[in-house]
Amino acid sequence: MAALGARGTAALPVRLRALWALPARRALAADAGEGKAAQPKPAFTDEAVQTLLYKMTGLDLHKVFRPEKKGLKPPHYKLMTEAQLEEATRKAIEEAKTKLIMPPVLNEREPIDDVLAEDKVLEGTETAKYVFTDLSYSIPHRERFIVVREPNGVLRKATWEERDRMIQIFFPKEGRRVVPPTLFKDENLGTVFQQDRHEDVLNMCIAQFEPDSPDYIRVHHRTYEDIEKHGKYDLLRSTRHFGGMVWYLLSRKKTDGLLIDMINRDLLDDATSLITLYHMLHPECQSAKEAKEQKLQGVDLIKVFVKTESQREGYIQLALQAYEEAMATSSAS
Amino acid sequence: ALSAGSRLLRGRGGHVVIRFALGGCTNRPFFRIVAANSRRARDGKYLEQLGCLDPLPNAHGEKVAGLNLERLRYWLGCGAQLSRPAEKLLGLAGFLPLHPMTVTGAERLRRRRQREQQPQAAPADGSAEPGTGT
Repeated sequence: MAALGARGTAALPVRLRALWALPARRALAADAGEGKAAQPKPAFTDEAVQTLLYKMTGLDLHKVFRPEKKGLKPPHYKLMTEAQLEEATRKAIEEAKTKLIMPPVLNEREPIDDVLAEDKVLEGTETAKYVFTDLSYSIPHRERFIVVREPNGVLRKATWEERDRMIQIFFPKEGRRVVPPTLFKDENLGTVFQQDRHEDVLNMCIAQFEPDSPDYIRVHHRTYEDIEKHGKYDLLRSTRHFGGMVWYLLSRKKTDGLLIDMINRDLLDDATSLITLYHMLHPECQSAKEAKEQKLQGVDLIKVFVKTESQREGYIQLALQAYEEAMATSSAS
Repeated sequence: ALSAGSRLLRGRGGHVVIRFALGGCTNRPFFRIVAANSRRARDGKYLEQLGCLDPLPNAHGEKVAGLNLERLRYWLGCGAQLSRPAEKLLGLAGFLPLHPMTVTGAERLRRRRQREQQPQAAPADGSAEPGTGT
């Protein structure tokens, strides 16, 4: 995971800070634009937000540890007592928690536009530009000097795309290619979405791009839009991308489909967490004020939210009715 | 390498230089920027590799060069000399000031191009005028 920057380091829980490898105190010029850490609006990285998103992600061990395509080996059986089995399950849950840590959600990075020197004398001598990379081993990639000498003599800092390419050439990272695969072009993404491989696309995207690059953000938004259009929320449940998707939908107030899906699957707790998050993000909306005044819980919260905020009121009411009938019959029987 | 009449025998001189070592294949050069004893062969055993330069432009029209500035500074601090192409490259990179021969070479090129253009312009004028005159 790439480095985040100075903002919000103190607010992060320890496990996130360690895993995202945040540097101690780097102030990037781009961070001035990331106003999400400002006081009124809660950020993606807040402790409270992260706990709610993590609860919603769910922990289906069978999905997290589903078999990946690896080399063929005969299965390995162990004979365990009950206590050992519990211990093994506990360890599996710990591992699953690390697998479910959410990738960062950042604003798009500002383009680099810095001229270091202008030497008009060099005009016309060269036909191609020179790209110089500093190969010192102990510098973080974000601070590496990568400069370009253009044929017209101007010495400027390299753009973000040139930087990413050069760093991948000299310090190759696994899973990343120098030229991004054609999969990430808009026309090809549709094909992959039809095969329901959203999670694979997102994993490849995380490996290939930096979290604040425009391509990363574009691919993620495209994926979330497609999931929301077809209602395939369950594809991402119990993966590390679920939190990001929920955050995206919340900021654009497109939570109806997700709410219906949760109620249909009898995940009332998740539905209430969703609405709590909605109120945290948009405290000025009417349902937020009502909820705060009356301190609503559970199904009442959902009902108030549905009345005031949602577009697909009818569907949600139907789903709620079905749920309540199911609860009534199951408690009666 | 240390026979009686060997070039590398100690006690006779030799200093560290930072220069280009040529590698690659036919019609495909590739330079490694290298700190080596001055009396070694150009492509022979070196002390440390400090970078590389690909003189042919890639698909994006760039000539890629990598320089390990930290180690370069170390060797320069140890008293290494630079070869002229290495100095020119570092001048282009901005690590050192622009080499005066780069500037001179650019001016010479410009003057040569101007001289080539003028004789073309003069006969062209000379051949055009009688045409317009008559």
